[in-house]
Amino acid sequence: MKILLIEDDPHTAAYVVNGLRERGHVVDHSASGRDGLLLASGGAYEVMIIDRMLPGLDGLAIVKTIRAAGTRAPVLLLTTLGGVNDRVEGLEAGADDYLTKPFAFAELLARVNALARRPPIVDEATVLRVADLELDRLKRTVTRSGKRIELQPQEFRLLEYLMRNAGQVVTRTMLLENVWEFHFDPHTSIVETHISRLRAKVDREFGEELIHTVRGSGYSLGASP
Amino acid sequence: MAPPHSFFRSTSFRLLAWYAAVFVASVAVLFLIVYWITITAFDDQLSDSVERETEVLVELYRSRGLNPLVRAIELRTVELRPPRRYYLLQDAAGKRIAGNLPPMKPLEGERILPVSSLLADRSAKPDDPADAYPIVAHGRLLENGGFLLVGESRYRAVTAREAIVQALAWGIAITVLLAAAGGAALGVGFLRRIEEINRTTRSIIDGDLGQRVPASGSGDEMDRLAKNLNAMLDRIQVLMESLKRVSDDIAHDLRTPLSRLRHQLEAARGKAPAGGEPVIEQSIVEVDAILETFSALLRISQIEAGARRAAFSEVSVEQIVSAVCDAYAPVAEDRRQQLKARLANVPPIHGDRELLTQMVANLIENSMHHCPAGVDITVGLAQEAGAPVLRVADTGPGIPAGERENVFRRFYRLEASRTTPGSGLGLALVKAVADLHGASIELSDNQPGLCVAIRFPAPTAARGRTVQTQR
Repeated sequence: MKILLIEDDPHTAAYVVNGLRERGHVVDHSASGRDGLLLASGGAYEVMIIDRMLPGLDGLAIVKTIRAAGTRAPVLLLTTLGGVNDRVEGLEAGADDYLTKPFAFAELLARVNALARRPPIVDEATVLRVADLELDRLKRTVTRSGKRIELQPQEFRLLEYLMRNAGQVVTRTMLLENVWEFHFDPHTSIVETHISRLRAKVDREFGEELIHTVRGSGYSLGASP
Repeated sequence: MAPPHSFFRSTSFRLLAWYAAVFVASVAVLFLIVYWITITAFDDQLSDSVERETEVLVELYRSRGLNPLVRAIELRTVELRPPRRYYLLQDAAGKRIAGNLPPMKPLEGERILPVSSLLADRSAKPDDPADAYPIVAHGRLLENGGFLLVGESRYRAVTAREAIVQALAWGIAITVLLAAAGGAALGVGFLRRIEEINRTTRSIIDGDLGQRVPASGSGDEMDRLAKNLNAMLDRIQVLMESLKRVSDDIAHDLRTPLSRLRHQLEAARGKAPAGGEPVIEQSIVEVDAILETFSALLRISQIEAGARRAAFSEVSVEQIVSAVCDAYAPVAEDRRQQLKARLANVPPIHGDRELLTQMVANLIENSMHHCPAGVDITVGLAQEAGAPVLRVADTGPGIPAGERENVFRRFYRLEASRTTPGSGLGLALVKAVADLHGASIELSDNQPGLCVAIRFPAPTAARGRTVQTQR
């Protein structure tokens, strides 16, 4: 994957660039807003990671400019502010996701992967299938090996999100934000509890496990780990 | 709080009403004095006039005798020229010799004759309007035992008095009108400037610190007040900005090295010598806890600064509470606690969905963390006096009455919970979010346990506030 990183802090930049390159991605890095904007407008990147506070030209302005110029590539904004407004401002400017520093590399990687594979909304299938698991988004039904599974609304949403990102790692924070719309870190094991209930219904009675725990990162749903 | 304030309830109206009352009262006193002096002058003039005429006739009698006097009186009673006078000449036996008044008891000096005394004799001019008024009369006893009386109708004095009263009534009416109109003009102008100041301060309370009170440029007291308020606001803005800068600096300058530390620990995770891995894992957890405390502090500061209010929208508290309860119910169940939701239909409020969600979550987590297994946690939503009220009640150990005020302070922890995990910022954030929404918090005894009630403002009031902000 070809990724652009605009980040002024050399340490964070090295951390992100090294991490992504280790996983086989091509990463262009720019330490200033102006140079970054030139790169963003020129190269065809699959994902752009842009720091919000930059010398010269700040991250929000870059996102607005490239969106105005018609660049559709997904943008992940990084920030050091524990900002309440920042997320909304970032999304309004045209960013697709938002990550507060400091972050675990696994979190960044999971989000970059999710952004790169984000399907256009119109193409989203009515029925999601992973192995012998099937979820009908219109009828709100779930079956595995043809056997009907009854889920609570929240379990349904959780499974739907996991299936839409099947084969990828989704982090605890991504689940909190996308399934429960919790944009804060709860001090209780909400995600763990709901995952374990979902597992009991989706996996327990069937031979093969579909919901896997990825140590230090999160969860992933798929036929093989 | 509902603007526009009724003019009649305003301070300026009260001041002006007093001013007008005092003004009208002093004009009335002035008019009374004028009235009294004029009326007295008229009566004095009348007395003088009849007394002089009496003197003239007595002099005539003394020098020329009775017959010329009788002729003079007869001549005068038929005279048409004003002032119209009344005469009476009677002999010692009380019989009338001449004049147009009926005989009466001979009394020296001045007296007032009522109108009825005239009815006996209407020979002269029966339709004269002066006949309808009392007479001021002067009597004199003559040397032959006879009695002479000259009178003059008070007609002119009375009509003059009526004219004066009418003029004064008009004068007072015009004074009242002028005082009211002038006062209203002054008052409305004054009130408009006060309202401008109120509007500005309200939008500042709503988080728009850039607002300033407009000055008219006249340099009067209101302008000086506006100038002082603006200077104070400049000062507050500088302080707020420096506070925000300090917070941002902490965020940037301390969080950056902490992030690096975290990155390095993460990078070291795979390369640690045998037995080192748990130490590194534990260190990452510790760093995350420090970073989280920073985030929570910054978040509370930002919420308290009120900037978030600009992004308020119509939100359903019911939906938020129900979603959070659904998320936490299985967690509580795993802890062998019971989370129940009793939600009534409440009207939507003006607020921030994300922050309200966190507030409800913090309240529920607070109860879950401080209560042992087996307790009931009840989340209630009700409408009381037109306003939504959220209650989170548990049957746990509760909070002693003396400590209840303190729990909303940052980093404050009850003695009993020092050993449980938590930053001591959860309830501080709850308070910040409630304040942002204009909601009040009450802690009470749930007997046993703790009941936290969040009372939101009535939705209409909240909506009224936005309309003003948008103006």
